[in-house]
Amino acid sequence: MTVDIEQAASVLREAYDTATPCPPLRGGLLPEGDVDAAYAVQQAQVRHWTREGRRPVGAKIGLTNPAVQASLGVYQPDFGVLFADMAVDDGAEADLGRLLQPRVEAEIAFVLGTDLPYEQVTVADVIRATDHLLPAIEIVDSRVAGWDISIVDTVADNASSGLFVLGTTPRRIADVDLRLCGAVLEHAGEPVSVGAGAACLGNPAHAVAWLAATLAAAGRPLRAGDVVLSGALGPMVPVTPGAAYEARISGLGSVRTRFGDREETS
Amino acid sequence: MTGQTPPDVEELADRLDEAAAKAAPIPRLAAAAGVGPAAAYAVQEALVERRLARGERLVGLKMGLTSRAKMAQVGVDEVIWGRLTDGMRVDDGGLVDLGRYIHPRVEPEVAFLMSRSPEPGEPVGDLASAVRAVAPAIELIDSRYDGFSFSLPDVIADNTSAAGFVVGPWRPVPDGLDNLGVLLEVGGRVVQTGSTAAILGDPRRALDAAVRLAGRRGVRLREGWVVLAGAATAAVPLRAGDHVRAVVERLGTASLRAAS
Repeated sequence: MTVDIEQAASVLREAYDTATPCPPLRGGLLPEGDVDAAYAVQQAQVRHWTREGRRPVGAKIGLTNPAVQASLGVYQPDFGVLFADMAVDDGAEADLGRLLQPRVEAEIAFVLGTDLPYEQVTVADVIRATDHLLPAIEIVDSRVAGWDISIVDTVADNASSGLFVLGTTPRRIADVDLRLCGAVLEHAGEPVSVGAGAACLGNPAHAVAWLAATLAAAGRPLRAGDVVLSGALGPMVPVTPGAAYEARISGLGSVRTRFGDREETS
Repeated sequence: MTGQTPPDVEELADRLDEAAAKAAPIPRLAAAAGVGPAAAYAVQEALVERRLARGERLVGLKMGLTSRAKMAQVGVDEVIWGRLTDGMRVDDGGLVDLGRYIHPRVEPEVAFLMSRSPEPGEPVGDLASAVRAVAPAIELIDSRYDGFSFSLPDVIADNTSAAGFVVGPWRPVPDGLDNLGVLLEVGGRVVQTGSTAAILGDPRRALDAAVRLAGRRGVRLREGWVVLAGAATAAVPLRAGDHVRAVVERLGTASLRAAS
């Protein structure tokens, strides 16, 4: 079977444009387990969006938790591309009109000070290249109905990215215990998701090293100034319309966002 | 009045005491005996009384159901507490004999060391005045019920599954205990990750609850007592040969070994 990359990409774009989730791509438009084809769909989307004038500002890493990987039957992370217009200001309302079935998670954002062009990357390279860290909330989303995703679906769908919120007080990487830092996501004063740095591939810096090597091998290396959302530090939480969420990460401070009430449209 | 005979607290305590002594599980007992939460605490007291009669000493309290996830799991909306004796203490790095337990599990916790006895009802917002030190800890829990399955009164009567505890090195209370990362490692592998935020949002709230709830039953925390604030992650089964370590950001580690 020939895989029609453009058709798969257009199905996903349709889901964005109509705010209506699509059925899973696997087994239909994309062969089960064909991760390369899925990345080709993601690339087709990224090319389309870039032509539209959207500005890529970095990448997100997904599937960084062993339990999440096991649930999808995969044993490696994945990545998607972040665009500047996906950034929500700290404390501001995230536009539910741009989201289908959002979930939130607390993460550490790495902001690079130098390029990472190596196909073989050590954690020392990551530490040296990191200009600063920011606390972040990633608002993940799926264009696939009911989050019924396999690795192929999520990779094609830009790694289930949605929007993201960055804190504004930069911290030096030397001042944060990346493995042990506690992370909590609160809603109305109650912890709704808790975790620690080690939940992200043992250490978020490991995830960034994986991403740098993977992107360098693909010929699109991470560059100075790129923002990398390194992966969830606790279980993701479905968004309640009208709710506000705050992520606090030990050593990194806090960041927050809120959601409007979803308007009924008829 | 229901006209039901009051539960035989002593007989229920005997059954639980024997289950623990023989490491042989028993069926749940609270529902059949008409035991609600209040009577369940009376059973717990009688149960621990049996340990004290054998020469053990009361050395502190432990809090349970301190996470939303656990409350939801058991279908309740309140914290529970149990009693710790010196017979349950395991040295940091010490060896435990699995033959003493039914289906033991371990979970990482934070322990407080009391510097004085708070007044009944005194809010312990000012930790510095009531707490001398804080430490990473491991609690070993072991329900005396079949299948580790119980109702709220069942688990209260069973001394909230208390079976053993390890306290790591004490250190002065740092600024902010509300979001310290917590890892549970077994054999050098991280098997659970969490944060002290899982403990009622802040372990200090668990201490406050200990003073308040135990005070209602006439129990006052004493100088030198240990308070286990509650689990920071889900519990994992303890198996023969396991080396278990709790790691708490800024507090350090506590560990135990299960004999193989």
